[in-house]
Amino acid sequence: MSRVIVAAEGNPLRDRGTLLKRYAFYAVVLCAVTAMGVHLIVFGTDWGRMGTFADVFGIIMNLAPSLAFMPKIIGPLLQTLLMAFWGTLLAVLLSIPVFYLAASNITPYMMLTYPLGRGLIVVSRSTHEIIFALIYVAALGLGPLPGILALASRSVGFMAKTTAEAIENIDRGPIEAIEATGAGPIKRFLFGVVPQVLPVFIGNAIFQLDINIRRAAILGMVGAGGIGLYFAEQMKIYEYGNASACVLGVVLLVIIGEFVSNRVRTKLISG
Amino acid sequence: MGDGITAVRQAYLHDRRVGRFVKFAALLSLFAFGFWSIDVLQIPIDRVLGMFGRVGNMVWQRLLPPDLVYATSASVIYAVLETIEMSLLGSFIGTLITLPLAWFAAWNLTPDRVFLYPMARLIIVVSRSLPSLMAAMLLVAVFGFGPFAGMLALVVGTIGFAGKLMAEQAETINMGPVDAVRATGAGKLKVFIYGIFPQLKPSWYGIVIYNWDARLRSSTILGFVGAGGIGLHLRERISVLEYHGAMGIIVIIIVLVVASEAMSHFLRKRYY
Repeated sequence: MSRVIVAAEGNPLRDRGTLLKRYAFYAVVLCAVTAMGVHLIVFGTDWGRMGTFADVFGIIMNLAPSLAFMPKIIGPLLQTLLMAFWGTLLAVLLSIPVFYLAASNITPYMMLTYPLGRGLIVVSRSTHEIIFALIYVAALGLGPLPGILALASRSVGFMAKTTAEAIENIDRGPIEAIEATGAGPIKRFLFGVVPQVLPVFIGNAIFQLDINIRRAAILGMVGAGGIGLYFAEQMKIYEYGNASACVLGVVLLVIIGEFVSNRVRTKLISG
Repeated sequence: MGDGITAVRQAYLHDRRVGRFVKFAALLSLFAFGFWSIDVLQIPIDRVLGMFGRVGNMVWQRLLPPDLVYATSASVIYAVLETIEMSLLGSFIGTLITLPLAWFAAWNLTPDRVFLYPMARLIIVVSRSLPSLMAAMLLVAVFGFGPFAGMLALVVGTIGFAGKLMAEQAETINMGPVDAVRATGAGKLKVFIYGIFPQLKPSWYGIVIYNWDARLRSSTILGFVGAGGIGLHLRERISVLEYHGAMGIIVIIIVLVVASEAMSHFLRKRYY
């Protein structure tokens, strides 16, 4: 009798406790979202300054990219691309000592060098490229050089982390075979480790190049060269049309870069 | 017999010579490309040579030690909370918008391949290629200074980031249950809720958490263009040349990002 009633009350597959917990979770999420929404959107925004709906609409209309400005951004876009390339290449070179320290199976002194390598990776990965760029701009002055260094500093972490993980997962067999021929540590690394991780390494380098194009595009906003500088300038003089022409250029460049990078990586993996 | 060995040996030597030549040519063209880049980018060589000293000087004397008293003052802590709030709310609203977009942008599930599929793909691709700082600056121009513009920039970032990953996951599902639900005469929304979503739940939840982690990373600098959060303080400290304070903020940002990464890792391991 009671079973029938329970079945009639609701879905017998779900017990009350689970449902209650679930609804409590939803309620908490809803309350949190409402509280944050009120705090950020209602109190955090200067509604008076924004003006009427017509004003906002007028600004949005001004954002249509002006095509006349497009030829002027080809040079800066090329600069952005070159910065991304050299930043990535530098990151690839700098990541070699870092992953050597941070791979637990080849690091020279586990107690000392492993935490050092991991620490470098964490700092590199969790600091935004803009912050690196600010430091380098303050030290070296304006221009693409601090931008390249910022991109390199930011990418080293990813390159070293993925490569260190690949090294930790390698097959020990070839290394033992090379060891048996009497090879020293450098030869063991070159002929036992490198061939196993090289495809991963190159694939990740191309992936980073693709990401770095996106990153290089904004570095100019803090004076580190590339298209970002032109974008920030045009925004400052309220030439929104020109600014969104810069954005359009960046979007096109990034889309092309992503397409090419995907193609090359697929080729690399399949054959 | 001896001839055969000689032939093999000669082929090997030939290959090695060709390989060396290709390597040499590649290296040479890289150098040429390097010089051309230095010319195009107008990089001052004297500054490259002195750069280690200057950056080292900057880091050891002007940035270190970080001013942690400033970095734990009330206004900075408030900005940190604002940053976290922005990232949570931006991810939440962005995810709500991304859910239908990811459904439309998965080729095997999309309800309409002629109009909705290309539209959803276009929105995702453009949001993905738009750098968040540029989006934030444009949104600040439209909506004024404050965290609202930053939150909208994070919504755009979420659509690009989560949209692509979610659509990719959706394209790998098993169509059997979907066809079974469809065979009961269920409409498109019911097919999605009962046939598609249960298969995607674990991977999509993982993507949502990962996306929040990535948004928190980008929200730390949105304040640079006046879009709310901790970035504004960093900019202030740097513009008044108070580098110890700036380094304090950088330390706070690193702690925040590492904590969020650990938390996102934990949640993904524990639940999905």
